[in-house]
Amino acid sequence: MKLSFESVGMRFGAKELIKDFTHTFEPSTITAITGANGSGKSTLLRLAAHLTMPTSGRVTITSDNKPLTRGAYIGAVAMTTPEMALYTRLTARENLSFFVGLRGKSLSDNDIKKLFDKVGLPIDALSKRIDTFSTGMRQRLKVAMMIAAAAPVWLLDEPTLGLDEKGRKMVMREAWEASAGGAIVLWATNDKKESEAADDVIELHAD
Amino acid sequence: MSSSFTQISLVLKKELVTSLRDRSSWATMLMFALVTLSAVSLALRGAIPSPTISAALLWVILFFSSMAGVGNIFTSESASGTLLALRIYGSASAVLFGKFFYTLILLIVMSLFTVPLFIIFIGISVSETLIFIISIVLGVWGIASAGTLTAAIMMATDGKGGGLFSILMLPVILPVFLPAIALTAFSFGGDAASVKYLGAMLIYDLLITVAASMLFDFLWYEESGE
Repeated sequence: MKLSFESVGMRFGAKELIKDFTHTFEPSTITAITGANGSGKSTLLRLAAHLTMPTSGRVTITSDNKPLTRGAYIGAVAMTTPEMALYTRLTARENLSFFVGLRGKSLSDNDIKKLFDKVGLPIDALSKRIDTFSTGMRQRLKVAMMIAAAAPVWLLDEPTLGLDEKGRKMVMREAWEASAGGAIVLWATNDKKESEAADDVIELHAD
Repeated sequence: MSSSFTQISLVLKKELVTSLRDRSSWATMLMFALVTLSAVSLALRGAIPSPTISAALLWVILFFSSMAGVGNIFTSESASGTLLALRIYGSASAVLFGKFFYTLILLIVMSLFTVPLFIIFIGISVSETLIFIISIVLGVWGIASAGTLTAAIMMATDGKGGGLFSILMLPVILPVFLPAIALTAFSFGGDAASVKYLGAMLIYDLLITVAASMLFDFLWYEESGE
């Protein structure tokens, strides 16, 4: 499976944020997307998730050189971004089961316990509503959703925002694990440690 | 992707659980119905209006009470940031039909609350019970499907067109609204109305549900770059 940007341009009004961007992201590779604020890191990830339509060019995921259909594309991508919110009136377990369920996966109690252990959430948080969660706990739950979705394309937009040192290490460990399992990982960050740990770095420049 | 039925069930269950824990959409809608019913009843001072006026009053109450509960089913997700998570993890058909069935349940409950109270407050009798029940069900189905679609269009405007919801709804729902009033008036002992209206309402409801599915697909994926 490959994620390809072909001559992709993205314009917001008069401002051309991304210009003629061509790149193929390979499996088992972590690519850090770096650049100053406003350089288009998040936009690049939104384009990869098909959440935003490019002004020109196209973004495709191919499997055996054939582009994925719309439904398959959505199923192939998992993403975490600071703008993405969870349902505050649902518990952690309900949120996890709902979003992962939309991907056709059901989680047993044991699966959920293992996931919580992986992302460093206490088991008693399972039955707590998200409106009682701290920013870091919400971020950990979003990472748990990504792990459970088991998608071949991981799009991480500032995934360590609001996390403590342990949390940062956990996200890095999980991204490496996903990459070792064949996933394509795109990681938008401005953290030097995180970009140095990646296999490849793409630096975007704000005009 | 899981089967469509499972995904739709998940969205429906999520809608029911979150709305029952919040209760604001249910309370707003039921309070609106109660207030308008009381206002109409007090204004009439015990006088029983003609079957046609009674039918029109009932459908005006049902329509505007529905607007109070249906209008924000997508914009609330957009405002809270959960729409993004839905777009990343969910499919268009699951979201649309999950929300449509939730809206249908919401409106059926609202009708079960409003219609008996209307009959008691106004003091009108129903002579054609079966036709009355079927016309209420088909009318509510029409409001649910047209309302879900219109709410989705409001979502595409980033909530900027929120005030236009009822105005946009009216032309879409008129082909259901007018026969529903005629059949309800007939059920209240008014002029005879062709029972063929029921078939026409059913066909229109099916059409609007299919059209909503096709248009929503476009709204959901057009924004996402397909």
